[in-house]
Amino acid sequence: MKWWKIASVVLLVYTFTAGLLVPLKSGIERVEPAVAATKQSLAIRFFGYNTFFTRPAEEPIRVWLYYNDRYALQARQVKPLNDTILEATFQMPANLPDGKSFVLLNALVDHPAAGASLLPAALTLRQVDSAEASLDRAWTDNPVTGLHLQRGFSFPYQNILYETIRNTYFHVPMWFVLLFLFAASVFYSIKYLHRPEVDLDRRAAAYAEVGILFGILGLLSGMVWANYTWGKPWSNDIKQLMTAAALLVYAAYFVLRGSFSDPEKSARLAAVYNIFAFASLVPLLYILPRMFDSLHPGATGNPAFGTQDLDNTMRAVFYPAIAGWTLLGFWIADLRIRYQRLRDKALGLD
Amino acid sequence: MNWRGFFALLHKEIVLEWRRRYALSGIVLYVVSMVFVVYVASSRPTPPVWNTLFWLIALFASINALVKSFVRESSDRQLYYYQLTDPVVLVLAKIGYNTLLLMVLSGLASVAFILVTDSPVQRWLLFTGILALGSLSFSIAFTFISSIAAKADQSATLVAILSFPVVLPVLLTLLRLTAATFTPADLPLSIWPEVRNLLAIDAILIALVVVLFPYIWRD
Amino acid sequence: MDRAVLTFVLWLGIYLPAVFAEGNRDFMRETGKIYVVVATLLVILLGIVGYLIRLERRLTKLEHQTKDDA
Repeated sequence: MKWWKIASVVLLVYTFTAGLLVPLKSGIERVEPAVAATKQSLAIRFFGYNTFFTRPAEEPIRVWLYYNDRYALQARQVKPLNDTILEATFQMPANLPDGKSFVLLNALVDHPAAGASLLPAALTLRQVDSAEASLDRAWTDNPVTGLHLQRGFSFPYQNILYETIRNTYFHVPMWFVLLFLFAASVFYSIKYLHRPEVDLDRRAAAYAEVGILFGILGLLSGMVWANYTWGKPWSNDIKQLMTAAALLVYAAYFVLRGSFSDPEKSARLAAVYNIFAFASLVPLLYILPRMFDSLHPGATGNPAFGTQDLDNTMRAVFYPAIAGWTLLGFWIADLRIRYQRLRDKALGLD
Repeated sequence: MNWRGFFALLHKEIVLEWRRRYALSGIVLYVVSMVFVVYVASSRPTPPVWNTLFWLIALFASINALVKSFVRESSDRQLYYYQLTDPVVLVLAKIGYNTLLLMVLSGLASVAFILVTDSPVQRWLLFTGILALGSLSFSIAFTFISSIAAKADQSATLVAILSFPVVLPVLLTLLRLTAATFTPADLPLSIWPEVRNLLAIDAILIALVVVLFPYIWRD
Repeated sequence: MDRAVLTFVLWLGIYLPAVFAEGNRDFMRETGKIYVVVATLLVILLGIVGYLIRLERRLTKLEHQTKDDA
């Protein structure tokens, strides 16, 4: 068996194992109560995800509710109730920074082994009673410093996503495989126009067919994921629409192939259309995402998976995943081509 | 590039059309009927709706107009004449003729549409320019696709489906540009990036057509 | 046989998500939504397997045909 097919299996096994077994970084899911008033003394519960608060640690866990780089409130006392719930007692200050009537505070938990976990806009602090002239010292007495880095390999924690962040290794590569397969299809279409051999046309058609398969799989898997993270399976997101457009184009390619009785004419005209459509898809894929906002990460400007969207830990699994899935796609296309050759030979069309 | 051949072919197409006026009459009928439908539906569309309706009418009328671009090569004299010419010159002449045809069509459509509804257009010069640019873009795309579809069944549906990926960014850009004409004439505009995008698309398309058309014309 | 497969897939694809989509807070969304990952993976794997099965069947039919002709 060819080396690249074995490589695809190895890469995919790695992707599945690492993708499913590596734990998520500790995170803060929510905070209760989520509203507080100035001058209040209260115990706030921090609900963690994949945390281990009761495990003995060499340094104490520190908790802040912070407004920005300059203003932060540190908890007076931190007590783990169990592995995932932390109770932090705060003495709310007398007034709010910048003279606001209410502020949104971010929750920050620093653990010596798990590192720092952040929940943006976790708690609303309201100004009650008249404010004093100068800002309460509590805002600046205990600045956020000495945050720890996590130990060990883990995937980022994101609210709403939770474990589904692992889908990055399964759903996202479908799009890359689609592009690679369609590119291969166009490549063979170009070759066919230069040298009209049946096998080249067979390859072009097979790559297009498997490309459509991965496009459908990408859309379906994306819809499953979106249903539980974006709220509904189809939100007319630009990436969804673009994938649907690409699929329509290649469906039209097969419609075109079917409308001719002469196989040579069908192959030639289909090859021309393949090149034309792919070449015009490229500006579509470039221009459209910049026109519209999108729920997909890496949107508003750059449709590709930008450097800011991927953690280094995720990249260690993401790049092999793309390679593995792509090789699998080419393997499936290879099978399809071999089947078509046998069929043509059996029907005497060779 | 054989310019004499280009203009000769262009002239021939125009003269032929003027004599029999198949395409023109078909277009006029199509545009009038669609505008009538809009009139019956609502004569007071909001600007975005006006924009969309106008360009949809223009789009479908253009497809119908250009579907038969490659049909009339039945007479022997025409066939002989075509065999003498370089296919690139031929397709460029067709595109040129179709562009003129679509400009007439879009002009007609806009006049009819404006008579029947409240048009939000304020910058008329810009609007005319956009119509010309749109006619060029549609002409390139639909002429080429109809040359492929001509060998099959020449249906408007097939042409519409096949042209879809090409037409989509063009259409969206045209919509945005037209929306810019709704602002009063004294305010500054920043539409140059969109125009540049459209011209770039047209350049890519023309290059593709010039390279690919000879392969279609092989028979 | 094909109809049975089709019915099963339809049930899997339409009925199940409908059931789980309503009772949200419970099954799919607890345990950190790991089951959403499972569902995504299943969709992809079943799709690929389905295509391969289709290819396999056509190949077998072809093999039988050429064996009969030979």
